[in-house]
Amino acid sequence: MRTPKKSKYVKPRPIRDRFDAIRPRFFAFMLDWMIWGYIAYAVMYFLQRYWWRYVDFYNPLKLPAWGWPVVILGTLEMALLTHAFTQSPGMAAFRLRLVGTDLQDPTWAMRIHRFLRMNLMLLVQPVLFFQSKRGPERLMHDSAATGIVIPIALLKDVIPTKKPRPWFLTYRGIFIVLLLAMTFWLGWLVSKMAPSKLVSGWSYASRIWGELFDIRLNYLFADVNTKGLLFSISYYMAETIFMALFATALGTLLAFPLSFLAARNIMGFSPLGWGIYLIMRFLFNAIRSIESLLIAVIFAVWVGFGNPFAGSLALLIHTVAALGKLFSEQVESVDPGPLEAIAASGARRWQVVIYGVIPQIIPSYLAFTLYRWDINIRMATVIALVGGGGIGTLLFYWKNEVGRYADAWGQVAGVVVAIIAVVWVMDYISGRIREKIG
Amino acid sequence: MEDLIRIENLVKIYERGEVLALNDVSTTVQKGEFLVLLGLSGSGKSTLLRCINRLIEPTAGTIVFDGKDVTKASSRQLRHLRRRMAMIFQQFNLVKRSSVLTNVLSGRLGYVNPAASAIHKFAKQDIADAMACLERVGIPEQAYKRADELSGGQQQRVGIARALMQQPDLLMADEPVSALDPATAHSIMQYLEQMNQEDDVTVVTSLHFLSLARRYGARILALKDGEIVFEGSPAEIDKVKFKEIYGEDAEEVEVR
Repeated sequence: MRTPKKSKYVKPRPIRDRFDAIRPRFFAFMLDWMIWGYIAYAVMYFLQRYWWRYVDFYNPLKLPAWGWPVVILGTLEMALLTHAFTQSPGMAAFRLRLVGTDLQDPTWAMRIHRFLRMNLMLLVQPVLFFQSKRGPERLMHDSAATGIVIPIALLKDVIPTKKPRPWFLTYRGIFIVLLLAMTFWLGWLVSKMAPSKLVSGWSYASRIWGELFDIRLNYLFADVNTKGLLFSISYYMAETIFMALFATALGTLLAFPLSFLAARNIMGFSPLGWGIYLIMRFLFNAIRSIESLLIAVIFAVWVGFGNPFAGSLALLIHTVAALGKLFSEQVESVDPGPLEAIAASGARRWQVVIYGVIPQIIPSYLAFTLYRWDINIRMATVIALVGGGGIGTLLFYWKNEVGRYADAWGQVAGVVVAIIAVVWVMDYISGRIREKIG
Repeated sequence: MEDLIRIENLVKIYERGEVLALNDVSTTVQKGEFLVLLGLSGSGKSTLLRCINRLIEPTAGTIVFDGKDVTKASSRQLRHLRRRMAMIFQQFNLVKRSSVLTNVLSGRLGYVNPAASAIHKFAKQDIADAMACLERVGIPEQAYKRADELSGGQQQRVGIARALMQQPDLLMADEPVSALDPATAHSIMQYLEQMNQEDDVTVVTSLHFLSLARRYGARILALKDGEIVFEGSPAEIDKVKFKEIYGEDAEEVEVR
């Protein structure tokens, strides 16, 4: 990048520059501290799991009164240690590097000096940040004696004097490998992995497996009495497919115009536009993060348990949010060149959208719609779990009748086979269409 | 001759004040002139062109186009000014998935009935004009093809046809031949020359090659680091002036 020249139009901004320079370092430090906090949690978990006879806390986040200060200060000191003595994971994540003023690796004296200085600085730093006359190029405890932290990008032309060690022999490499090993161990314990249960539980499971493979399809077209009325597998299957179809078609129609409101390159021209953009993005992200199963819980209460309308609405809302987000990302990634060209000819902004943006996004919109259709079909088969209607109604009906009817598991298997067949056929069709488009 | 564009103390600063792209640029472009902008990559040529039709907002300074202040124009006034300033681009900037004819017609969007344009409806006269423009650049038979099916030279001709559709007073070309081979480059430059001489369109183009600038330019404006370092006729550029314009580059080549 070209170095800026002095001009009367470039305003100096000392505080903001300082803030910008310090931000990655702050986040890097916070990340390191969080990693040590995670290690502390793991240690506590292991202590109560393996040495519960000797430690007297019952669960890993219940500590004696003196415990919390110890944990907080302990992890803080460890973060300071990793930050002063090594190239820590946090610094790596924010592309920073600790070097001497000669831009080479810091000496041990510098590292010890830095660690001590950091401890001292913890007390006075908030005052210094605003009062120091130093510029953004020299911050906090940086000095010739303690080394400096600079963005890695600035080191690209520096020739190192030492051959770097392979990554698995660096402090950071060892640290990260140990961290991953610890995570695996912790995850194994927390999620209660017990492969032996697969063997010990087999005798019970084998009976169900036997019944499951006795697949009954006698109700494929014949009616079975559910909800006090007569329905068949094919009836519910049609319901499922149309639920998905309705949600996808209407969802696409709604998401199409809304996606433009959530695209930065369309809305980012005025403060009002920015406001709408931020609100739409927030809405899309918020609604998208709620599974349609959870939305269906609400609608099942609202419009009736087991009513496919509830399931369709739940799928529709999730579809609008998910497609709106995907679509708006497509709008944001269109080639800006043609838009520039059309705007340059004196077109209105909405004409630029119609002639420049839409032709570019149509293929990916179709592909995403078909992809969403696959998801909706799958979701519609199980949304009955919370009363959303569809083929799942029958699935869970038979599951609950186990014990009342001898062939109940066989009926469950029959429904599952029907679901697999329909999902497979729909996948195949949409896959072929997507191939044709792409 | 009359001035078509008058630029006064134009300044553009990018990236929150970190890159100074144009620094106090002042110049005038006369009606019917063929002006060539020279300079290294990043010297501010594209920025200068895009400031004239405000695809890029200038940070400070004034641009007067045919007596009207572009920098102070409202969005409606700006659209009316942009209709008279056509632009062609290094990467052609066609809508790749639309037909050639639609691409050419989009040059007319500033004039047509907006409601009709929303459903891709154009007047018969506009379509006939578009075909005439395509005929003028020699590719009428490609009208119904998709734009990305054409070769680079043909795509740039579509770009010129789109510019012709505007019936502009000014044609701005941002390195129109950088993505083309030398033979095609000359044919494209000849279209620009033809527009300049036959239709009295003022042409402002940025170019990479000095040879092309010498061949086609009536006047040359050289930029370096956002400042004008040379202004005059092509014949005035000798070895010393060349060093002045491209000096940095020559030094860099020696170092590496």
